[in-house]
Amino acid sequence: MMKWMLAAGAAALAIAAPVTAQRGGGDNDRGQAAKVERGGKSQAKAKRSGGDRQRAQQASRSGQDRQHSARTERASGSRQQAARADRRGSEARRYAATQDRGRRAERAQVQQRGSRDAERARPDRGRVQQADRASRRFEVQDNRTRGRTAARIDARDQARGRDANRVAVVDRDGDVIRVRDFDRNRDVIRVRDFDRGVMRVRDIDRDDIFIRRLGYGVGGCPPGLASKGCLPPGQARKLIGVPITTVAGIAPLAPLPLGFRSLYWDDDDYYYRWGGGYLYRVDRGDALVAAMIPLFGAALIGQPLQPAYYANSYVPPYYNAFYPNSPYDCYRYGFGYVYETDCLTGMVEDVIPTYDYGYGVGQLLPASYGYYNLPYQYRGYFADDDDYYYRYAPGAIYRVDRETALITAVAALLTGGLTVGQPLPTGYSAYNVPLAYRTTYYDTPDAWYRYDNGYIYAVDPRTRMVNNVAYVIV
Amino acid sequence: MKRKLLPLALMAALAGLSACNKEAQGSKAVSADEAVKEANGKTIAAGLSQDSRFLAAAKAAGIDATLAGPGPYTVLVPDDAAFEKMPAGTIEQMMKPESRAELSQLLTYHILPGTVLAADIGKAIDDAEDKKAVLATMGGKTLTFAREGDRIVLSDSAGTKATLAGPDETRSNGVVHHIDAVMMPPKA
Repeated sequence: MMKWMLAAGAAALAIAAPVTAQRGGGDNDRGQAAKVERGGKSQAKAKRSGGDRQRAQQASRSGQDRQHSARTERASGSRQQAARADRRGSEARRYAATQDRGRRAERAQVQQRGSRDAERARPDRGRVQQADRASRRFEVQDNRTRGRTAARIDARDQARGRDANRVAVVDRDGDVIRVRDFDRNRDVIRVRDFDRGVMRVRDIDRDDIFIRRLGYGVGGCPPGLASKGCLPPGQARKLIGVPITTVAGIAPLAPLPLGFRSLYWDDDDYYYRWGGGYLYRVDRGDALVAAMIPLFGAALIGQPLQPAYYANSYVPPYYNAFYPNSPYDCYRYGFGYVYETDCLTGMVEDVIPTYDYGYGVGQLLPASYGYYNLPYQYRGYFADDDDYYYRYAPGAIYRVDRETALITAVAALLTGGLTVGQPLPTGYSAYNVPLAYRTTYYDTPDAWYRYDNGYIYAVDPRTRMVNNVAYVIV
Repeated sequence: MKRKLLPLALMAALAGLSACNKEAQGSKAVSADEAVKEANGKTIAAGLSQDSRFLAAAKAAGIDATLAGPGPYTVLVPDDAAFEKMPAGTIEQMMKPESRAELSQLLTYHILPGTVLAADIGKAIDDAEDKKAVLATMGGKTLTFAREGDRIVLSDSAGTKATLAGPDETRSNGVVHHIDAVMMPPKA
């Protein structure tokens, strides 16, 4: 049952865009096309929206037809990303459908997927070339004495003598596994597909991580970057007022995921599409882009992190508790994003947007925030319940609707934080202890007290060093 | 005999310390209640004028719940007249979904961590060598405070100035200061 639920969840994530088209998207899209005709006043506009209608028709076909359409789109070159998404969707659907056929069928299916992955693996994808190992099975045992989860490769792989010197490190979110291959001095990215204790893992490419970590895989653009069909903000702004068909030539467009439709619904004046990290509001009257809404994302994943995208290696101290550096993972911070990079290669593995860069209410919480991660001092205030759960991401604690995974409120704002043993940052010269604690913690010639993120810190006035946490407000 | 007494004495001392600690925590709980009572139980969100443009903007950015949460925050609230001083259509444009990033940056530029009373700002200004206090905002940027006569004036990175108006409005989760201009955060 658990296996089925997990498979269904993965499938739902991976096939978000196709599902959108298939269910509400399919009907809705036809409706939209009809609306375009109705409100568009001319057949020329209907022609311009023909692509949408075509997609809607495709969506109503069977999965094989969708596969075919995906292949067709892939052949067009400019829509590679959409094709990949469709391909992933088809794979996920097939995977979900075969879950109940028993272990043998599953293994065979995974092997088949592995070979497909191998076919599509490009030489420049580095670790992804190892996709042919997708069928391998790992037994993972929790080795608490070593402080991390270690993996033991099963007998089949050991017999091959190729995987004896590997250790799997489970990411903090628990669903992505990085297997360290000491022989070849590189990592294989795998995804946990099953239950606790013994779990199955399969090789994935970075697009899959993209999908897993960011829910619908909406690709936003960190400042100044265009990759994977993502539009840098400067270029994107120029698209306002141009025909939507022009945008479709630059970035693959799709109807909105279901989760967004309660926020941006089509009406007689406008309809919406998304792609390339933006949501586009399209005027039905002239089929021009009327407005663009940036979406969060990780367009940098799999790309080398350029120094221009981060100020320096500085990460606000408070983030360190959540994004600790390790020999393998190096975190960088800049322009509203935390970048997780591979220390050896410098490649970006994850991009985490912060609150005041547009990440907030109405957006989907990335799938990687599957666990309760609030700072301890806030846990007494924000506990998960049947309707909502709370998650911390840089800059804020978000309240998330369980049904839609949409952020419905910003429960608390958090700063970059103070750290014991570091100089008091600029900006904390004024006494700011909450009223209720002022009778106990007041400034003296020997000690200052400053509040930050639920803590009252003691500061040495002479050295301006943060000495210790004087009190935790819970 | 002395060896037997020593552990007992230590245990008694620890018990005493523990009791003191509980008393201290108890007193803090009482004072927290008093602070809430002083604020008439109102949170920052509840204390704002419900038809104010600042609250409307906070709702658009999804931080109205934040201002009703535990905090504590110091909120610099531009009056409606301050919003009207902005170029025509600026705030309306910011309230649109596609401008959420700009609106979030604008609002977090008006929120400071902790409870900073006007007197605290004044003291920080007086203690500074250049008689200017630089305070951090929740958005990671800073605002500069200085005295101009009897008034406390704050300025943003572009040099736009605003004046703290009226007394501290203490709330159960922080304090509100009213200002007469909208501060614009620097571009990243």
